[in-house]
Amino acid sequence: MSSVLTAPRTSAFWRAGWLHPLNDRHALEEMLAGIDPLLSLGTVKARLVARQAETASCCSLRFKPNRWWRGFVAGQHLRLSVEIKGVRCERAYSLSTAPQADGCIEITVQRQAGGKVSSYLHDELPLGAVVELSQASGDFTPPTTLPAAGLLLIAAGSGITPMRGLLQTLHARGVAAPGSICLIQVCRSQQDCIYGQELDTLAAQWPALRLIRWYSAQQSRPEAAQLLALAPDHAQRLSYLCGPAGFMRNVESYWQSLPDAAPLHLERFGAAPLELAPDAPAVQVQLQRSGAGFASRRGAALLTEAERAGLAPAYGCRIGICRSCQCRKRSGTVQDLVTGTVSSEPNEWIRLCVSSAQSDLELDL
Amino acid sequence: MSTHTLSRKQIAELQKDLDVIRDEVMSSLGARDAAHIRSMVKIARGSAIAGRGLLAFGFDPISFVLGVAALAHAKILENMEIGHNVLHGQYDWMNDPKLNSQDYDWDNVCDSGMWKHFHNYEHHTYTNILGKDRDYGYTILRLSPEQKWHPLYLLNPIANAVLALAFEWGVGGHDVQAERYFKGEMSFAQMQQRAKPFRRKIRKQLIKDYVLFPLLSFWNAPRVLLGNFLANLIRNLWAYTIIFCGHFPEGTKVFREEDCQNETRGDWYVRQMIGSANIKGSRWFHIMSGHLSHQIEHHLFPDMPAARYAEIAPKVEAVCRKYGLPYNNASIWRQYGTVLGKVLRHALPSSPAALKPATSGA
Repeated sequence: MSSVLTAPRTSAFWRAGWLHPLNDRHALEEMLAGIDPLLSLGTVKARLVARQAETASCCSLRFKPNRWWRGFVAGQHLRLSVEIKGVRCERAYSLSTAPQADGCIEITVQRQAGGKVSSYLHDELPLGAVVELSQASGDFTPPTTLPAAGLLLIAAGSGITPMRGLLQTLHARGVAAPGSICLIQVCRSQQDCIYGQELDTLAAQWPALRLIRWYSAQQSRPEAAQLLALAPDHAQRLSYLCGPAGFMRNVESYWQSLPDAAPLHLERFGAAPLELAPDAPAVQVQLQRSGAGFASRRGAALLTEAERAGLAPAYGCRIGICRSCQCRKRSGTVQDLVTGTVSSEPNEWIRLCVSSAQSDLELDL
Repeated sequence: MSTHTLSRKQIAELQKDLDVIRDEVMSSLGARDAAHIRSMVKIARGSAIAGRGLLAFGFDPISFVLGVAALAHAKILENMEIGHNVLHGQYDWMNDPKLNSQDYDWDNVCDSGMWKHFHNYEHHTYTNILGKDRDYGYTILRLSPEQKWHPLYLLNPIANAVLALAFEWGVGGHDVQAERYFKGEMSFAQMQQRAKPFRRKIRKQLIKDYVLFPLLSFWNAPRVLLGNFLANLIRNLWAYTIIFCGHFPEGTKVFREEDCQNETRGDWYVRQMIGSANIKGSRWFHIMSGHLSHQIEHHLFPDMPAARYAEIAPKVEAVCRKYGLPYNNASIWRQYGTVLGKVLRHALPSSPAALKPATSGA
């Protein structure tokens, strides 16, 4: 299997079994990395060149990628992978600027409570260290032409990170009609306002941008209708929404209730551990490769639950020894029935016979 | 065939004791373990490059001997400390696609998918249960009086020698389950179907060692071909010796299917401990044997990174002592000597009762 981060190479050379081990890609990659950690046969790697605090719990990291980085459009995201205590961990982050002249890329990382990767990126990853990246992806990108009614950007918390790139791109394009871009930024307080000063300065010198702030610590958590009332013509504007899951759900359902509303682009982030409500009888398990799905009772082994639903995943010992039933969990929370460990790590290997679902799951099966 | 006299309560306690040992290690896995397996990969790769280079570019007998030794070293290290352990999922927690049990393929004629089926599943689940653990005697050897005698077992010593020399081939063909075809339990077409991945892997291995690398060395092709053959042979003999010392030395117990029904994890632990044997040796001996010299620890915790077995061995031995179970640990000479003894003795008819005095005397 190729890493989740590297696009699978289809070139015949890498697939030719008779050339093995001369075409052992992993071995060649490792030997190249031994010469220079940025050298690679196609994997995007990047060196950390700067780290800058944005708020007390948020910082921006600037990376210089190697030649395999194919560039990006503002608003896209990437997956970053680092090794922490021997474990390879992967997270998605929005690119937080427009493309830069020097080819550097920037992400902004909010420290999560108990977050392994965010804490590592804040406190431990040394300057000069090399991380692995995916190519940029996503369609949370600025429109090619600005609609007459203008844009509305709605961001909560670190949902502001892709918005900064969008704004920089639009600014560079010379968008000038006053108030044609409206940004509603929700933050807990002024101290927690990511890019606070920078956006104030931008709004002051660029009449096209109308900046609206909502401080939830003072003004309480906003209701979608209440918040969007601050931009009365919101329904006509082409809109972009990014923020915590609950916030996004609110705005989205409000938006759906609007008659004839302009399109709403969404950027979801954060693998916030999904916890099953204690009284929820079952969760839904989605199998990505086969397209099948089944309902699983909480606390029951996924293997037996899948079989109960008439599916037949591969299995062996059924007691957690042989790993015949092992598969990759793309998202969701599971509990190991032997050790009791609960884990929400994306893209981790689980054994179906000794794992039980604690939330809706997506499995690579 | 009563193998122990522990009460249900004792077995439940034993299970707890062993779980504690396991959890302590598994919760402390980290950078040190990752560094160990990566350094093993580097060393094995370095040896392979050196060995293949010496064979391809050298002219003299000294570089030939060194080349064979380096390549054999590479193959042994890759098969035993890296391949076997990675295929057990010992490093899956690293989430490194290069060291993952589902994707790793080793420098061995045995297909890794077939290996995981008969080894990880059959052998590790049903360890030493006659009729269920097809690794006990590999379906061709008689190593215990509990196995029914048949005149074909007179060939025990010859079968043993052939298996030693061609060990990877025996292992490679093991999951084809040809014995079921001969017993009429499987059609020829079914056997052919089962053999598919084996045939694919044979092609890959033969091309590598006997076509690709010889051809790449032009005039040195015969030398490379012979060198590769010898390296494979040395690896076969070494792997055979270590692996035969895992469950066949004197003192290891075998089980009947009916004794192992409704087993708890504690029962399973007991069976693993008294069905396995360790070999004493230095750190490098353990590494070169893929830590299968800590077979007891390996069978208790097959997905614990093997480099940790040495550190838990004293605790496991203490658990054995606490519950009055044997902890079979001896030199390679003693362990392999008793294996050879069994190969010879059980070629002839033998019965459990008649053998009692001989067993305790060994």
